[in-house]
Amino acid sequence: MSIITRAIKYIFIGFCLLWVLIPVAWIVCLAFKPYPEWRVAYFLPKDPTLSNFVILFEPKQIIGMMGATAIVDPVTRPFINSIIVVGFSTIIAVFAGFFTAYGASRYNTPGPFSLFFTLLTRMLPPATFVTPIMVYYSNLKLLDTHLGLILLYAAVTVTYGIWILKGFIDNVPREWEEAALLEGATHSQVIFKVTLPLVKSGLVVAGLFIFLLNWAELLFALVLTNVNAVTLPVHISKYVGAVGQLYGPQAALGIISSLIPLIIGYIIQKHLVAAFTFGMVR
Amino acid sequence: MGGNRLSTKPPKLVSLLANLPVNILLYVTLIVPFILMIYLAFLAWNPAAGYEWWQAPLAGLSNFARAFSDARFITALGRTVLFTLVVVMIEFSLGLVLAYLLLEEFKGKRAVLSIIIYPLMLPWVVVALIFYLLFQDYGPVNNLFLKALIGDAATQMHWFLSPTTAFVTLLIADIWQWTPFMFLILYSGLSAVSKRLIEAAQVLGASSRTIFWRIQLPLIRPLIIIALVLRALEAFKVFDIAYVMTGGGPGTSTETLSLYIYRVAIEYHDISYAAALSLIILVILVIVIRVFIWYSFERR
Amino acid sequence: MNCLKRVSEKISRRKFLVTSISAGVLGIIIGAAGAWLAKPEVVAERTVTREVTKTTTVTTTVTSTVTGVVPPPTTTPAVGFDPVTQRAIDGVKALIASGKAKPGDTIRILHVAGSRANLEKAIELWEKYVTKDIKIELITLGQEPDVYTKAMQEAVTKAGTFDAVTIFSTWLGDIVESGLARPIDDFFSKYDPGYTGDIAPIEPLGSYTTIYKGKRYALNFDSDVFTLSYRKDLINDPKLKDQFRSQYGRELKVPDTWEELIPMAEFFTKLNLVAPSGGRVWGAYFYAEPRFAAYITWLNIFIEAGGILFDLKNMDPKIDGKEGKYAFDVMLRLKPYMPPEAITAAWADLYDKFVKGETVFTAAWPSLSKEAHRPTSAVKDIAGSAVLPGVEVEIAGRKEIVKAAPNPVNWVAVVSNYAKNPELTYLFFQFATSPDIGKEVILTGVILDLFRKCWFTDPKYRSAFEEGYGAEFLDAYMQSLALSFPDLILRGGPEYAAKLTVNVNAVMAGTKDPETALSDTAADWDSITKKYGVDSQLEAWKSLAELYPEQVKKAWKAKGYM
Repeated sequence: MSIITRAIKYIFIGFCLLWVLIPVAWIVCLAFKPYPEWRVAYFLPKDPTLSNFVILFEPKQIIGMMGATAIVDPVTRPFINSIIVVGFSTIIAVFAGFFTAYGASRYNTPGPFSLFFTLLTRMLPPATFVTPIMVYYSNLKLLDTHLGLILLYAAVTVTYGIWILKGFIDNVPREWEEAALLEGATHSQVIFKVTLPLVKSGLVVAGLFIFLLNWAELLFALVLTNVNAVTLPVHISKYVGAVGQLYGPQAALGIISSLIPLIIGYIIQKHLVAAFTFGMVR
Repeated sequence: MGGNRLSTKPPKLVSLLANLPVNILLYVTLIVPFILMIYLAFLAWNPAAGYEWWQAPLAGLSNFARAFSDARFITALGRTVLFTLVVVMIEFSLGLVLAYLLLEEFKGKRAVLSIIIYPLMLPWVVVALIFYLLFQDYGPVNNLFLKALIGDAATQMHWFLSPTTAFVTLLIADIWQWTPFMFLILYSGLSAVSKRLIEAAQVLGASSRTIFWRIQLPLIRPLIIIALVLRALEAFKVFDIAYVMTGGGPGTSTETLSLYIYRVAIEYHDISYAAALSLIILVILVIVIRVFIWYSFERR
Repeated sequence: MNCLKRVSEKISRRKFLVTSISAGVLGIIIGAAGAWLAKPEVVAERTVTREVTKTTTVTTTVTSTVTGVVPPPTTTPAVGFDPVTQRAIDGVKALIASGKAKPGDTIRILHVAGSRANLEKAIELWEKYVTKDIKIELITLGQEPDVYTKAMQEAVTKAGTFDAVTIFSTWLGDIVESGLARPIDDFFSKYDPGYTGDIAPIEPLGSYTTIYKGKRYALNFDSDVFTLSYRKDLINDPKLKDQFRSQYGRELKVPDTWEELIPMAEFFTKLNLVAPSGGRVWGAYFYAEPRFAAYITWLNIFIEAGGILFDLKNMDPKIDGKEGKYAFDVMLRLKPYMPPEAITAAWADLYDKFVKGETVFTAAWPSLSKEAHRPTSAVKDIAGSAVLPGVEVEIAGRKEIVKAAPNPVNWVAVVSNYAKNPELTYLFFQFATSPDIGKEVILTGVILDLFRKCWFTDPKYRSAFEEGYGAEFLDAYMQSLALSFPDLILRGGPEYAAKLTVNVNAVMAGTKDPETALSDTAADWDSITKKYGVDSQLEAWKSLAELYPEQVKKAWKAKGYM
C-alpha cells in the first residue's frame, strides 16, 4: 500500500476515534461535575467532585446536590441483578440460537412460522407488548422474578442468535460435515466438534450483541420488576431529583455500567480475530 | 445463498435441539401475550373504561380504520421510514469502510477496536442524554465546535428548535451509537473468510481490493443481508433518543413511531388503539422484509 | 461394526440430551440461588447495624434502610398532638386492640423516588408515636410516569402489589374510573382528617385535589401551585427603574398583569446583562416545552382571561375562543424575550437558568423557590416571589384583574381497593398529612409543599416553614393557593394535557399557527371525551368546575359560561 493510501487510512481511523471519543469524553467529564456544571459548554469540570460516584453506593440524602432528594438504594443490588439476568439470558439465547440456526441452515427446522415469529419479536414496539405481558406474568407469578426476566430477554433476543449464526453456519461447507459423518462421527460430534468451533466468531458476535441489547433494556424491566429483580437501566432512571434528571449520577452509573460489556468485549476480541485452521477436526 | 440445505430429514438430535429450546422460549413466554395483544386490537378498551378487558365489547376494525385517518400516525410512520433508511445506509457504509481498514493487523489494533465498539456499551438513556446536552444552546456543539468553525454565527444555531435540525441531531446520535454494530458484524464476517481462499487468490495475482470486492464481500453476502435487516428493524423502533433529546418536538415533528405508540399506550392509556397500530406496523414490516428477502436470496 | 456404531450413537445422543437438559436445569437453579443469595434481607440487616447511631427508619424487607444524613433540624412535635394526629393514633390503636390490625401487618406504598425522604420521615414518626408493630414498606419508582403506569396496571391485574399509591391529582380521574381508588368518605367522617376550619388545606385546593364526581378519593399530601419568581435586585435597582420609566413611561415593579410583564421582559432582554454564572440574562422563561409542561403557561393565561375548558352543558371544548387566542398572543409576544430552551429543553432547565441568575421573570413550582434559596444558588439573596400576573377582564361593566394560579400535578394519597387493610392504610396517611406530623414530613424533603392554612398563619408552625421557604415566599404562596385552580382532573386528564402541550409547543416553535393548534386540540379533546362517554365526562367536569376559585367562577358567570 502506498504511503498516501496508508496515510489516508490512518487519518480516517483517527477521525473515527475522535468521533467516538468526544461524546465519551463528555460523559466522563460529566460524571465528575457538580450540578451547576451539568448544563455548560466546556468539557473539563472547574470544580471536580466524586459525589456522583459516592451517591451510587451510599444511600443517603444528597443534600449537597441541588434539589436531589431521590434516595435510591445503592447500586450493588441492581448491578448483580443485571449480571445474573443478562448473563443467563445471553447464554440461553446464544445456544438456543445456535441450535436453531444449525437446523435452519442444514435442514428445514423448526418450521417457517417459528422462524418468522422470531423476527416478529424484533418488530414489535415494546410499548404495546408491555401490558399484555404484565398481565400474563402476574398470572404466572413471574412478576419481579429473575426467572421471568431471563426468559423474556432470551425469548426476545434469540432472534439475533439465530439469524447471525445462520449466516455464519451457512458459510461452513456442508461437505466437511458430511466428511466427518462418513468418518464415523455422530451427529452431535459433528455439531459440537466441527461446526461449532468454525463459527466461534459468530457465537462471539451474537453473544456480544445479545448481551448489549439486554444489558441496556429498560421498558420491560421497568414494568416487570418492583424491588427484587431491578436491573441497572431501571436503576439509572431512578436518579431524579426535584430539579429533574440528575445527569451527574446517571453519567457516573452509565460509565460503570459500560465497564462490564467493555471487559467482556476486550476479552473475547481474540476470538473475533482468530483465524481458524483447516483440518483441525478429524 | 441460504445455507447448504439437505433435503433429508434431520436426525432426531438435531431436530430436538433445534426445536425445543427456541420453542420453549417463544411459546411459553411470548405467544400468549402476543395473542392477547392481537385480541386487544379488536376491542375498544382502556384501563380507565370502568370494566375489565374480557368484558369489553368487540370493536371490529374501528381501531384500524382510525389509524388510517390518524395524521399523526401516518407522518410518524413516514418519518421513521426516512430515519431508518438514512441511518442504516450511513451506518452500513461507515461500518464497511472501517471493517475494511481494520482487517489487517497493526499496532494497538485491539485498543482501537475496543474504542470503536464502545458506543454500543453505554446504556441508551445515557447516550441520549449526552447528545441532549451536547446539542443544547448552551452546549459544546454550538459554543465550542461550531464557534471554532464559523465564529459567532454559531450561537444563532438552535438545533432543537427547527424540525430539520432536530431530526439531524437524532440521526447523528443514532449513527454514533450504532455504526459499531454494523462494523462488528462486517468485521467478524470478513475475518472469518477462510485464509486459504485469500491466499489462493493472492497467489493468482489478485490485488487486495479485488479480493475484497470479488471474494470477501460476496461470501458474506448473507451476513450483510441479515445485518441490514436486523439493524433496520431496530432503527425502526427508535425511541430513547427521540424521547430524551427532543421529546418528539418541536410540536410532533420528530415524533418517531415508537414514541407515538408509547404515548398512546402509556400516557393516553389507549391500549387497544396502540395494539392496532402495532399490528399495522407489523404487517407492513412483514411484507417489506418478505419482499426484501425474496429479492436478495431467491431471485437467481 | 455398524451396529456397534449405531449403539454408541444412541448412547451418546442420550448422553447429550441428558447433559443439555441438566445443564439448563442447573443454570436455572444457579440463577435462582444467586437471586436468593442477593436477597434484600441480607442487605437490610447489614445496613441496619451500620445505622446504629442514627434514628431508626424503615424496616422494609425490600429497600435498604436510609436516614437523612443531615441531622434533621426538626422541632420534635409537641407531645400533645393536634386533634387530627391524635385521632389517627387513637384509630390505629383501636384497630389493633379490636384485632382488625395485627402486629406484623404491612402497609405497602407505591411512590416516586423524590418523595422517599418525606415518607421515611413519616415512617420514623409513625414508629415513634403510633406503633412499631405495623410496618410500612416503600415501593420506590424513579419517574412519575412509571408510578402512573404501575398504578394503572395494578388496576388491571388486581394483584394487590400495594395498599396505597401517591399519585398526581391529574391522574385521579383515571385511577378512580379504573377501579383502583377506594372512596374514603366513610373514613373522612369517621376520623376527620381536618379539612374544615383553620387547620384545613387552603380552599379551593383542599377540595379539588381530593374530590372526584362529588366523592372523596384521596388525602392531600402536597401542593404545587405556581408563583412568579423574579430577580429582586434588578427590579429594585434605581438606575434600571429610571431607565425603564424613561423608555416605557411606566414603573418597574412586580407586574400585575401579563401586559405589564411583556415590556419588562423586553427591557431586560435587550439590556443583554451578564448573569452571576457568566451567561446572559433573559427577561422571561415560562414553560413551553413539548414533553409535559407547555400547557401550564397557556392554561394559566386562558383561565385568567375568563376561559372555560369545556361547555358546562354538553362538554364541548371551549378552548378555541378568544381567551385561547389571547393566551397564545401573550406567549408569542413573550417568545423573543425567552431563551430557546423554554421551547426545547426539559422542565428542569427553567430551574437551572433561574438559579444561575439568567432569568428575570419565571414561574414554577414551590421547589424553585427552595432551590433559589440554597447556599450554592447564585440568586439566594435576590430571588423574590409574588403571585402570578393576571389578566384584565370586564366583569359586570367594570374592568377587574383576574389572577389565578395553576396547580399542575400535586401529590395526593390514594387507598387501593385491593388493599389488605384499607382503614389502617388510610390512617397512616391521615397521620402523615396531619398538622403536626405533616409539617415534619414536608420540611424533610424538597418535593412536597405545604397546604394547610394553620401552617401559614399559626405562629406555632409558621417559624419552621419560614426557615425552609422564606417569609416573602410564604405570603405570596398563601395568596396563590387561594387563587389556585385544579389541573385537568378528569378521566383521561393526562391525555387532554398532553394533546394540549404538543400543540402549544408547536405554536411556540413556529410549526403551527394558533388557530389551527386550537382547533386541532379541540378536535383531539372531543374524541377523548367521546371515547370515555360524554355523560360520564360531563358529570366529572361539572363537579370539578364547581371547585374552581371564586374569582374565576365570577368571570365565567359574567361571560355566561356558568
